[in-house]
Amino acid sequence: METTFVLPNSGHKRDDVSSKMGMWLFLFTEVLLFGGLFLVYMIYRFMYHADFMTASHELNVLIGTINTIVLLTSSMTVAMSITAMQKGDVRLSRRLILLTIVAALIFLVNKYFEWSAKFEHGLFPGMEHYNTLPNGERLFFFLYFFMTGLHALHVIVGGAFLLFVVRAINKNKVRQDRYMLLENAGLYWHLVDLIWIYLFPLFYLIH
Amino acid sequence: MSTIAANSELSFFQVAKGFRSWVTTLDHKRIALLYFYAICSFFLVGVILGFLMRLELIAPGKTIMEPHMYNQVFTLHGVIMIFLFIIPVIPAIFGNFFLPIMLGTDDVAFPKVNLLSWYLYMFGGLLALLTLVVGKGPADTGWTFYAPYSVRTGTNVTIAVLAAFILGFSSILTGLNFIVTIHRLRYPGMTFFKMPLFIWALYATSWIQLLATPIVGITLLMIVAERAFGIGLFDPAIGGDPILYQHLFWIYSHPAVYIMVLPAMGIISEIIPTFSQRTIFGYRAIAYSSLAIAFVGYFVWGHHMFTSGMSGAARVVFSILTFLVAIPSAIKVFNWVATMYKGSIDLQPPMLYVLAFIFQFLIGGLTGLINGALAADVHIHATYFVVGHFHYVMFGGTAFAFFGGIHYWFPKIWGKMYNVRWANIAFVLMFIGFNVLYFPMLILGIMGMPRRYYDYLPQFQPLNVVATVGSWILILGLIIMIVNLINAYRKGSPAGRNPWGGVTLEWQTKSPPPLQNFDKAPELSEHGPYDFK
Amino acid sequence: MQTHDNHTGQQHDVHIVSYKEHASTFIGLVLLTIMTVTVSVFGAEIYTLSVLTALTIASTKAVVVALYFMHLKYDPKIYRFMMGVVLLLFVIFAVLTLVDYLARN
Repeated sequence: METTFVLPNSGHKRDDVSSKMGMWLFLFTEVLLFGGLFLVYMIYRFMYHADFMTASHELNVLIGTINTIVLLTSSMTVAMSITAMQKGDVRLSRRLILLTIVAALIFLVNKYFEWSAKFEHGLFPGMEHYNTLPNGERLFFFLYFFMTGLHALHVIVGGAFLLFVVRAINKNKVRQDRYMLLENAGLYWHLVDLIWIYLFPLFYLIH
Repeated sequence: MSTIAANSELSFFQVAKGFRSWVTTLDHKRIALLYFYAICSFFLVGVILGFLMRLELIAPGKTIMEPHMYNQVFTLHGVIMIFLFIIPVIPAIFGNFFLPIMLGTDDVAFPKVNLLSWYLYMFGGLLALLTLVVGKGPADTGWTFYAPYSVRTGTNVTIAVLAAFILGFSSILTGLNFIVTIHRLRYPGMTFFKMPLFIWALYATSWIQLLATPIVGITLLMIVAERAFGIGLFDPAIGGDPILYQHLFWIYSHPAVYIMVLPAMGIISEIIPTFSQRTIFGYRAIAYSSLAIAFVGYFVWGHHMFTSGMSGAARVVFSILTFLVAIPSAIKVFNWVATMYKGSIDLQPPMLYVLAFIFQFLIGGLTGLINGALAADVHIHATYFVVGHFHYVMFGGTAFAFFGGIHYWFPKIWGKMYNVRWANIAFVLMFIGFNVLYFPMLILGIMGMPRRYYDYLPQFQPLNVVATVGSWILILGLIIMIVNLINAYRKGSPAGRNPWGGVTLEWQTKSPPPLQNFDKAPELSEHGPYDFK
Repeated sequence: MQTHDNHTGQQHDVHIVSYKEHASTFIGLVLLTIMTVTVSVFGAEIYTLSVLTALTIASTKAVVVALYFMHLKYDPKIYRFMMGVVLLLFVIFAVLTLVDYLARN
């Protein structure tokens, strides 16, 4: 008599551990992506130390600090949203995620003001004042815009991911017994926070 | 009482038909074949470009093209061969097809991501080809896109570089998929040290794909930014350092060569036991050496930059590390040979390609050490010696292992057998053609002929003629191989489950495999994956 | 509270981090931030904020975020090991590249 057998492990079955591992592996690629930029920053800061210090004074430490606190807060809220989901408090979880998204928006608005101020001073690569700067300062500002710009892009992506999770919650696809998507979105969000933790002192606090 | 899987009467080819069923598939086997057809097509384009280059170089001065076009031809040849062929060929084709089967599971961990990887590959590949037909034509910088020329030239560098960026994503996602699959989906009882060595090779490769590729990704984005905004990241005129570009570029591109060669070595480790009918010698040594090559390989990139202006201390450090990385490769070669000793050798086509691999990889590896020696490199950097070296390892090594893999696994994938006599003829022509084409380059390099040069001094011509003739013999062999395989695909005789007497899991299932890979429960040996009773 | 582990087909009991622990982590991170800013803005008279100090404080914050917010402290060892390897890799890249620049005249 023949009976059917089923392979014990399947790539087509839901596996939360695989999902989490996959997210971590993806985060490693992000670490190295920004790592390359930090390498460039390191070398040029080494070569143009004085210019980097001068250029850094153009940056607004207050806004930078506020943005740092905003992101740290958002990391806390998204971590708490997972706690809430684990405890079965879906409403609180959703609210905390929305708070996180609000924090992301605040961050982006601050960025907008910062960058606008720079444009007004003609500091963007290619602009008049920028072109008159010494080499080291130009490298500083290019790296500033490129790295914080790429970071802001990740803030947007992270925010969109969280919004997607909210929708999934509304459709009951993310719940107390199935919240890997939220955890993964949280992990991605913490990475965004981590990158800023390094960007902040390296650009704003050189004295 | 026997057990069978549901729906295993049909092969994976038969379960669904039509174009749509292929381009929306989630079956790793079909995705592998999608890659196979795409990669082979791009490979043929690369071969044609190489053929044209050898025609141009048969005589000094202009033969069939202008100098500027020659720069574009060798650039596109490199971009296609490296990013579209050699890097993805074995992981994307045989990795995708056989990783799940060898592990005793039904698919990779993230089948949808797998399909996405293929679409990214196609998009990147088509973008690369787009550079042929828009604007000022393909990039003329060499596949290495060195700054500052890559920032200033009017050719399609931005498109080419974006193509490479997208292809990088494809590579990263494949590596990610494989790592999770290996960690999570092994058949019960298959510990890490009971996995076939091809899997170990893919595991090490996947880590390189995952961690090294992002760095070249960001570097290429910086080139695009420089071209767009005109700032001097790597432009010395405005304070940038072109050597920094080279550092960043080679931090990826050196590990990339291990992405190219590790899976090939994995195939060798599969074929030799089967055609020696003996268990592999030094299983753990080979497994660990794959990890060691991957790890140490991250730290040798400076050996591409010895004459660039890098500091002396850095040169010494990189040279020492380069010598270190040769050790685990040598360990593999010794273990393979030891496996064959007193084995029952069967010189079927796969085994022929393996023997050629060992011979050619040896030459490639040893010439690599010569390049890695500071004093020697000063004379041979950027000469044809380097060109000979890397073709020996990449073509004579990886590509030959790929061809060996095709001849090994063809009956399993398509369920049909090819004509062995014609396969042997093709092999002989390819082996002779390959060595006649590339060995003279080693000599030309020592004689002083620079690479990437459109023209050359008259004393270099005789060997250039020899090399070009070699390219014709090689291409003839390639054509015969392809025709033979297409014939087998159309009307080869049925192959059966295990034509070669292999013992890894893929040989237990039907040929071609059913959709869920197995028609009965896989049987693992407690003695490990190479248990030849 | 359980998660679904495909591999063993079992439900696992999951470690839940309390709201309080998250809040404490947050406070710690804010304090470190204030410390970093204060030293940099006012510290010229006290001591200069070298790159090393800035990076040390930033790294402390990063480790805290990784271990607590990202749950690495409570996860299987393999994740910490993988993260360690990735960081080691990056550090070696940085060191080897810097060797070149330090040794140039």
